[in-house]
Amino acid sequence: MGKVINGLDVESLKSLIEEAKKNQEFVQKINKWYARVRWAGSGFTFNSYVRNHSFTISEPSELGGPDKGPNAVEYVISALGACYSTGFILNATKRGISIKNLEVAIEGEIDNILVFLGLSNEGHPGYRKIIAKAYVEADCDEKLVKEIWEETVRTSPVGNTLARNVEIVPQISLIK
Amino acid sequence: MDKIFPVTVVGSWPRPKWLLDALRRKREGKISDEEFQAIADEAVLIAIKYQEDAGVDIISDGEQRRDNFYSFVADKIEGVELKTVAEFIDFAEDKAAFEELLRKLDVPAFSIRTPIVTNFIKKKTPIALNEAKFLKEHTNKKIKVALPGPYLLTRSSWIKGISDKYYKRKEDLAEEFSKILREEIKLLRDNGVDFVQLDEPVLMEVLYGPELSVQTFMCAALTAKENPRDELRFALDILNKTVEGISGVRLGVHICRGNWSKSEDAQLKGDYYPLLPFLLDMKVNQYVLEFATKRAGSIDVFKDYPTEKEIGLGVVNPKTDEVEKPEDIINFVEKALNYFKPERIFLNPDCGFGTFAESPVNTPKVSFLKLKSISKAASILREKYH
Repeated sequence: MGKVINGLDVESLKSLIEEAKKNQEFVQKINKWYARVRWAGSGFTFNSYVRNHSFTISEPSELGGPDKGPNAVEYVISALGACYSTGFILNATKRGISIKNLEVAIEGEIDNILVFLGLSNEGHPGYRKIIAKAYVEADCDEKLVKEIWEETVRTSPVGNTLARNVEIVPQISLIK
Repeated sequence: MDKIFPVTVVGSWPRPKWLLDALRRKREGKISDEEFQAIADEAVLIAIKYQEDAGVDIISDGEQRRDNFYSFVADKIEGVELKTVAEFIDFAEDKAAFEELLRKLDVPAFSIRTPIVTNFIKKKTPIALNEAKFLKEHTNKKIKVALPGPYLLTRSSWIKGISDKYYKRKEDLAEEFSKILREEIKLLRDNGVDFVQLDEPVLMEVLYGPELSVQTFMCAALTAKENPRDELRFALDILNKTVEGISGVRLGVHICRGNWSKSEDAQLKGDYYPLLPFLLDMKVNQYVLEFATKRAGSIDVFKDYPTEKEIGLGVVNPKTDEVEKPEDIINFVEKALNYFKPERIFLNPDCGFGTFAESPVNTPKVSFLKLKSISKAASILREKYH
């Protein structure tokens, strides 16, 4: 094992990037992602199955749910925070910067939740604005931290998904 | 004979930047405790000078050696460690309250440190004796030392999942803190301290906390919700157990609604009324209470609860930039005279000026002017009521 920064083996990380440069099959594999969400059979509870993992999606009691886990819109902002965090650690490690602490606080504001509840046709029920603030503790200057953050934001898969128009292909199938 | 309307402070004074740098370096292990104490000595001398020049009768050391009014005990008591919110949030029952707290303060979970009991506790060194001795050596004034109260220490440091391995119930831990504090109070008394004040701000959190959670002093208190009446009874019993029978020193209890930031909206709000039945049973000489801030409500709450105890009347708000006029202070004190005799009224700010080292609520200049204004009001009152 080579030099370890932020708990990541720098050499392995570089090899991974090299692999992505030349191995088309590998790139195709990491270019596509899958999830399957199943209704738990009662109320607002759902389970998502992703590779060998699963997690619960639910609604808080004020929205009629059993509050068994975060709801879908909370997962969206959590995914953004996780993506920024992953990118930040990746980009800092690539530069040889040790990070002592990293936290991303996210706040998302829905444009008009009444549309979701069928009570309004004005605006839309998606996020209008998401604020993501990163707190970083590291022995490096602020300019470098900002540079890493800018690169992280620019190259974030989830950030780009949210900031750009994504083609969503909804389909339905009735099973009898 | 002691003069009436003595002027005193609640405790903390804004720390100079060089002291904050030294505090940080000490925390990072870059300087020894001995080196830090030498730097802090200089800061204490400045705090003494400001208070003496302002005409304060019972002075403190400005709590210059402490990072805040209670966390510092982690250095003095074995089994108590400073932990960040990030390190213990997984054990909290009400994680959402922490999230709200962090969001309001605009800080990450790794930046807020609070003392947590992570083993059986045992006193390592006296808690405030070195502070008291240095202060006593450098002033001819009477001196006051604030200590975190037993309830505050217990509520802020007992976390289910961490501390219960050593103290099954928080009540068991409270007994131990109580013994340590009792011993410390006697030690301070025997070393010439005139006034020992126990800080118990979490009492207001118990009453008024659910709506606002922007204080850092109750970080761990957020980890479990309790019934307010049971909590107040528990707080009262443990405080009384700590002070019962101790004589030869003035004992006070200080209660406030948070002193984290200058923002009035960011602190708790609510009067003393629901607290008074418990407060009046406390075996202390004096209640050191906020009254300058409107958030504390009216002093008329004492109408239904007459008492022979002393009151440390909060007459200036440490958070505001405007310096209160002596005549306004006098007007308020005269209102308090409806419920307290002149010899039982002490005059002080609502709280400290620098409760948390890194976020003082005022500058030394404004703090000094506020104390001076209290002294002026006190002189006029003494003339009138001697």
